Amino acid sequence: MGLKNINRRGFLKLMGWSGVGATVAGCDMPSTVTLEEGKETVTSYLTPEEYVIPGIGVWYSSTCRQCPAGCGLHGRVREGRILKLEGNPDSPVNLGKLCQMGQSGLQGHYNPDRLRSPKARKGGKLVDITWDEAMDLIDQHVGSSAGLDGARFAWVTDSISGHQAMLIDNVMSALGSKNLFIHEVVNSEVGQAVNREVLGDATPRYLIEKAHTILSIGNDFLGTGDSPVHASTEYAEFRSSPRGVLGVVEPKMSLTGASADLWMAIRPGTEGIFALSVANVLATKHKMSIGMLPQSIQNAIMKRNLNEDARLTGVSGNHVIRVAKWLSSTPGQSIVMAGGTAESQVNGYQNGVAAMALNVMLGNVGKTIVSSHEFPFPQLAHRTGGTGGLLDFVKAIDNGGLDVAFFSGANPVYTAPLALGLKDKLAAIPFKVSFTQFDDETTQLADLVLPILSPMEDWATIVPKVQGEHAVISMQQPVMEPLYKDTRGMGDILLGLLKKRDSATYGGYDSYYAYLNQAIASFPANMAADGKAVTWNDALAKGVIAVKSGEKHLTTKLSDVAVALPEENVEFPLTLLPTPRLGLWDGRHANLPWLQEAPDQISKVVWDSWAEIHPSLAKQLEVETGDAVRITSAQGAIEVKVYVYKGIHPDVIAVPLGQGHKGYGRYADGLGVNPLEILDNVTVENTGELALYSTRVKVEKARNKDTLVMMGDHDVQMGRKMVSTVTPDVFELTGGEA
Amino acid sequence: MLATHLYSAGRASDCGASCSASSLLSSTMLRTAALLVCMLLVFGATETFAAGKKDSLVPNAVPPEGTYDGEDVKQPIEFPHYIHADVNKINCMYCHTYARRSKVAGIPPTGKCMGCHSVIATDKPRIKKLTEYWEKHEPPPWKKVHDVPDFVHFTHEKHLRRFVFDNKGMKVENVSEVCAFCHGEVKKMTVAHKVKPLNMGFCRRCHEANNGPHDCWKCHK
Repeated sequence: MGLKNINRRGFLKLMGWSGVGATVAGCDMPSTVTLEEGKETVTSYLTPEEYVIPGIGVWYSSTCRQCPAGCGLHGRVREGRILKLEGNPDSPVNLGKLCQMGQSGLQGHYNPDRLRSPKARKGGKLVDITWDEAMDLIDQHVGSSAGLDGARFAWVTDSISGHQAMLIDNVMSALGSKNLFIHEVVNSEVGQAVNREVLGDATPRYLIEKAHTILSIGNDFLGTGDSPVHASTEYAEFRSSPRGVLGVVEPKMSLTGASADLWMAIRPGTEGIFALSVANVLATKHKMSIGMLPQSIQNAIMKRNLNEDARLTGVSGNHVIRVAKWLSSTPGQSIVMAGGTAESQVNGYQNGVAAMALNVMLGNVGKTIVSSHEFPFPQLAHRTGGTGGLLDFVKAIDNGGLDVAFFSGANPVYTAPLALGLKDKLAAIPFKVSFTQFDDETTQLADLVLPILSPMEDWATIVPKVQGEHAVISMQQPVMEPLYKDTRGMGDILLGLLKKRDSATYGGYDSYYAYLNQAIASFPANMAADGKAVTWNDALAKGVIAVKSGEKHLTTKLSDVAVALPEENVEFPLTLLPTPRLGLWDGRHANLPWLQEAPDQISKVVWDSWAEIHPSLAKQLEVETGDAVRITSAQGAIEVKVYVYKGIHPDVIAVPLGQGHKGYGRYADGLGVNPLEILDNVTVENTGELALYSTRVKVEKARNKDTLVMMGDHDVQMGRKMVSTVTPDVFELTGGEA
Repeated sequence: MLATHLYSAGRASDCGASCSASSLLSSTMLRTAALLVCMLLVFGATETFAAGKKDSLVPNAVPPEGTYDGEDVKQPIEFPHYIHADVNKINCMYCHTYARRSKVAGIPPTGKCMGCHSVIATDKPRIKKLTEYWEKHEPPPWKKVHDVPDFVHFTHEKHLRRFVFDNKGMKVENVSEVCAFCHGEVKKMTVAHKVKPLNMGFCRRCHEANNGPHDCWKCHK
């Protein structure tokens, strides 16, 4: 059949064949990628290690630095590049698990916005300089001949531990300064103050896996607690047979609240009243003894009235009764955990004491709440802080001023409420140095910017915030060569500073690697958990060094509890909750696209801020999901789209932390709002901590509906019965325990 | 011939398997399709012939069909494959040692080159250039010649197992014949030159002829 004289029938026949032909022909089309012959460079090794095979990954142990928990890591390296992070099963902290923040550590390392060379402010602008010039500048301001008064020097950092902490201490003492301020927005400082006072141990271990009933009062231990992955692994065991029961009472549903058998919305500030109300039902209905409590607390418990308390707290009496029933059936096998929204309030300390009184009454202390491991090397121990560190830093500026300030890890310009006036106050400090990977808000105001290595490139030893079954020192080793030649390790910078002050002690170490190597080699064998000498290679291969640790005896020293109600405020009737979340955390991860893209666990919103409000408040304000509201406090206002949701108390408006950056790279810049900006400068009684959840606000509709980008569009099943449900009536009858 | 022809057509129209009916109407494509039908018919016969070849150095294998005329890629050193693999009969896997263990064959470490060339042919210009790189502690920036797209998972190790190590009667010293399936007769070349199309049709035909896996996800994971 000639192709030129084709008839209709022939054409159709050919079309049938040509369909097949086109498919095969398609397979023979060269892809645009395969056309790139000779474009890509393939770099061979000079002399590879025997175990290195291109194309096959090698796993290295290290430690996660995405939050202060200090989980153990395994990193898969191929062709010299780190490709994947997983949990290290040998670390008793995370037992081989890793959260989404940990997984996203890669994106911090490969982030295109990483700073690549030192910069100094010249003529008002930050310009590139060399490391030698940078270190000379530091020497001019803090060197032996600079004549610096130690009281006029301050260092603001995030949580520190291990040998870096020791070197920072040594730098501080060399400079004659006591102004080391540790600042974390997501913290448990108030809880630690309560624990220290009542139990004599700031960080006791909560044996979640051994409990049968857990009552969380504002403590989001699965999401934003001290060690979320550790808590989650224990929680999995708690939920396995026999299944433990979890009750959560908080003003806004957290990740922990979403996992609860019974979730109760409470008016913020009344958590202490709720705890005493539960104690009252335990004492009166279940005849549990309260004789071990001081008389004043016994009186406070006995004078509670269930109906009156329900009116004050917003938690129904039936729920209080049900919680008391659970707790009474598992004496000594329950945990009452206060924290987060219950404790970071003006009366948060008292809320914490009331919750701890419940633990004492239930006999949990010494059974499910046990002593922390007494870490044998106090100079290396984990040191954390809260917002108190920030307030103390501001005080140090106010009381006579500072000449030099160093910033590492913390970004106070972003995390400080505007009411503190930090930005203006920083302008009065003549020399500010930022040790950082990114151009964050604090770095933008610095006079000297030192780009540091990412945790994937640097050496460190980390002592976890919450130790697991046994105490460990976790090793952080570089999993690949530095991406940028003009960046330096934090340990190397610290050593460099110390060498100038004390060359006799530190001059012999060529690098921080050499220093750590020597430190591990001299680790006393009798302090290792197995009594054997610790070798460098073993420590690196395993990722952790198990150390011997002592146990403390927990006390139960309760004196009094005064649960005052929050003051009424007619002008600002609502309470603002700037809620942290496992993702952007306190805003430090806003520049990691995976975490921006990961939907919030409750609202499912991505790449934005939102304000959660109760449907009744939405009705009152005449707004629906997507409309914008203006939230005004005595300090200022923010505008944000609302997400209408039942899992929140009607007197509360919750705006998540993390967005609202100005700068901080292409992924974070200009997204959403930062609720920390409009917080009142009020502190938690008995502590120097900022009361994060005590700011009163008013809310009004600002703009009409705009797109609020979220995964999924419904919080109902649209009749598809994906999850079996029962009506509230049936649930009430069975107590949810069917 | 056919592959070369389709290659040019593909580059001009960028038309893949999902070509629209209207573009198929073009006379060039019609001719191509007709030619293809004929080729498909002939292909079966070729296959039978190849399988029945008695003098093949690779038993139990049907070499894939297809040719390609790749670009001349300029390399930092004009590496003479023929001197190593043909004249001196060095096994391909001596230098490309990772091929039998990994998905990639690997460019030999510079240290391996210097293992011999610190004493052999040290006066030759190419070796002098190599020594310069070695002394600078820099591997030569070789350019990649053979590549498949990122969405294709290809592994040398599995192919070598099928055609060499698990292939009864196959002698390891003849491995260059297996390499030549996809890379052509590199042992006759100086720097490698792409002479096989390495596209999906090429892979599929070989998998069909040699009973390789047919699941999409074997290559597109």
